[in-house]
Amino acid sequence: MITKVSHVTFFVLDQDKAYEFYVNKLGFKVNTDAKMENGFRWLTITPPDQPGLEIALLNPLSGMMNYDDETKDAFRVLLEKGALGAGVLHTPDCKATYEELKTKGVGFKGEPKDQFYGVEAILYDGLGNWFSMTQPK
Amino acid sequence: MPIAPDVYKKIVTAKLYIDGNFTEAIDLDRLSREACLSRFHFHRLFTRIYRVTPHQYLTRKRIEEAKRCLAANEGSITEICNEVGFESIGSFSTLFKKEIGHAPTNYRVLARERQQQTREQPRSFIPHCFIEHLNSNIQEAAPETVM
Repeated sequence: MITKVSHVTFFVLDQDKAYEFYVNKLGFKVNTDAKMENGFRWLTITPPDQPGLEIALLNPLSGMMNYDDETKDAFRVLLEKGALGAGVLHTPDCKATYEELKTKGVGFKGEPKDQFYGVEAILYDGLGNWFSMTQPK
Repeated sequence: MPIAPDVYKKIVTAKLYIDGNFTEAIDLDRLSREACLSRFHFHRLFTRIYRVTPHQYLTRKRIEEAKRCLAANEGSITEICNEVGFESIGSFSTLFKKEIGHAPTNYRVLARERQQQTREQPRSFIPHCFIEHLNSNIQEAAPETVM
């Protein structure tokens, strides 16, 4: 019986920029930031109120990720296009968080809108991933 | 009753003020002035938006910074207590243990042990699938998955 998810991956092309965005702007917590001898960096973060979910910020072009060149190129194209949708982020108040993140330079696709499931704004991490930022009903 | 857009900006301004100044002495008068709202309205709206009172949020920020300082070994417990904005070592230690589950001294020991393990055994933090599957087996496993 599977009961929960403990690790997921967000692919990013620059882990330093990802750290700046997810930790310093969105307020995620760093769980582990470990560097291997070969240069591979295992960087995981957790949502502030969800310490049991580790999000690995992985660079698919890193040497440790043994993808072939074709796969790496595909990752690069998708991430540079911002063609990946990474998930839904919950907030207690979408409009307040929207105002705060805008002041921090976070990019949004329009203002928050009422949806049947809550209030939602679409944000971009600047690293290839789009998120729904939702205040659930 | 919906909150007006300009009121959101006022509350966010005060929240960001806490984020940038939580190590200083901050009271409700100061925050309500930052928000250009009465104490009553500020407290009510802040609590409605963030689901915690301004004081609870301020305390949370201080505890988070204390965790960072303890893990970084930046000074004694008393020095950290004062630097993050608490006035009493007693209330700091009590609050810290209540929120984090460990006394500050114990938290520091655990954090340092984890840091040492991160340096010396980084692979111990990485689930096997991330190393084995992605590093060596992905090209063999992928065709089976597709078929």
